[in-house]
Amino acid sequence: MSFDIAVITTYWPLFAKGIASTVLISVLSILLGLFLGLVLALLRISGNRWFSGLSTLFIEIIRNIPILIIAFLAFYGLPSYGIRLEANLAGVLSLSVYSSAYFAEIIRGAILAVPKGQMQSARAVGMSHLLAIQRIIFPQMLSYLIPPLTSQLIMTIKASSVLSIITVTELTMSAAKVISITYSPVEVYALIASLYWLLCLSIEFGMGLLERRVTRYQLITTKLP
Amino acid sequence: MAFELHYVTENLPLLLEGAFRTLTVSLMSIMVGLIVGVVLTFIRQSGLPELSSVVALYVSFIRGTPGLIQVLIVYYALPTIGLNLAPLPAGIVALGMNSGAYVSEILRGGLAALPLGQIEAARSMGMSTFLIWRRILLPQVLVIVLPPLTGEFISLLKASSLLSVITIVELTRSAQRIVAITYQPIELYVAAAMLYFAMCFTLASISRKLEKLTAAYRL
Repeated sequence: MSFDIAVITTYWPLFAKGIASTVLISVLSILLGLFLGLVLALLRISGNRWFSGLSTLFIEIIRNIPILIIAFLAFYGLPSYGIRLEANLAGVLSLSVYSSAYFAEIIRGAILAVPKGQMQSARAVGMSHLLAIQRIIFPQMLSYLIPPLTSQLIMTIKASSVLSIITVTELTMSAAKVISITYSPVEVYALIASLYWLLCLSIEFGMGLLERRVTRYQLITTKLP
Repeated sequence: MAFELHYVTENLPLLLEGAFRTLTVSLMSIMVGLIVGVVLTFIRQSGLPELSSVVALYVSFIRGTPGLIQVLIVYYALPTIGLNLAPLPAGIVALGMNSGAYVSEILRGGLAALPLGQIEAARSMGMSTFLIWRRILLPQVLVIVLPPLTGEFISLLKASSLLSVITIVELTRSAQRIVAITYQPIELYVAAAMLYFAMCFTLASISRKLEKLTAAYRL
């Protein structure tokens, strides 16, 4: 079978719309997910037994359930309780909740990775608690945060394709639409796989640049063998 | 609206059947994934730069594209080039090929974690390459890769829910089918979520136990 490039050029506007929507949904879900994740991480290390227990329970439940089931619950389940969400909104919400559990663990890991002595020394040289967090803990935390965060950002973008199943109009959905018209799965899937691949590679590249910028602050000792 | 438990209990046999199918499909896929992963790792360790870069490209493609797209490609796109697979084999191939890329990364990480000095020390004591692998490398690599491999199996088990779109009646699809009859989405999807949770959580607990048992072999 030959590769018919016309399928791609003719329906390009649909694909372009799809990728714009995938990017928008991913960005919104990542922002909301990071915020939720930060709250969950802070609750988990808060020292309060109830807050920490509830946060752990939530994280464990979400991490052991497929995103598809979460999306089904948000889109098909919530209406039974009178909450009728539009597909795109249900999609963003479920993807945010799903990602937040992973973000929470990454943030918690990064905070705990900064040695305790760092805070104690900062206080000892006369910094206030807030200044120590801002100048000492946060910059060092970033270098622990970025590598796992990069993988999770990519995971979130990839998971957004699942939302096509609950009729969210993103890239995978545009592919399904075009295939139903042209019946040319090879061309269409080759295109959208490349688009997702490109998107994920650019995230990896961008985060790599960011990592080089923030690892300036990394502890000298961690660089020695 | 209340949570009507009887919709779950009445359909429990169907749900359990779906969960069993999810488990068997995941097991078969991880087997394929392990084989693919080991082969990819051997190719990467072989030292042939062209082959290694092909493997690197493959791993990058798998990690950079959604699992759903990979499943759809195997099921819908391969037939147009003459590879016609039934849903179940297509699903196992897609998940297995996906998992293989991650497994090879895990194995590579495990091998890289071992200090080179150990191989040199073993060789200077007169061990053969085979003996070095059996006595020095494998026991340590297996211990290192066990936790991430279980993690990969858990991801795979969750990803197997994607096979519902290619008509495989696993847990998600059986829940969908029951919802289509009873129209009780909350009850049945919550039940499905609990079954997924039970399976994944059990796996994670087994992994933690194994980790404790093998702690003595850890560096």
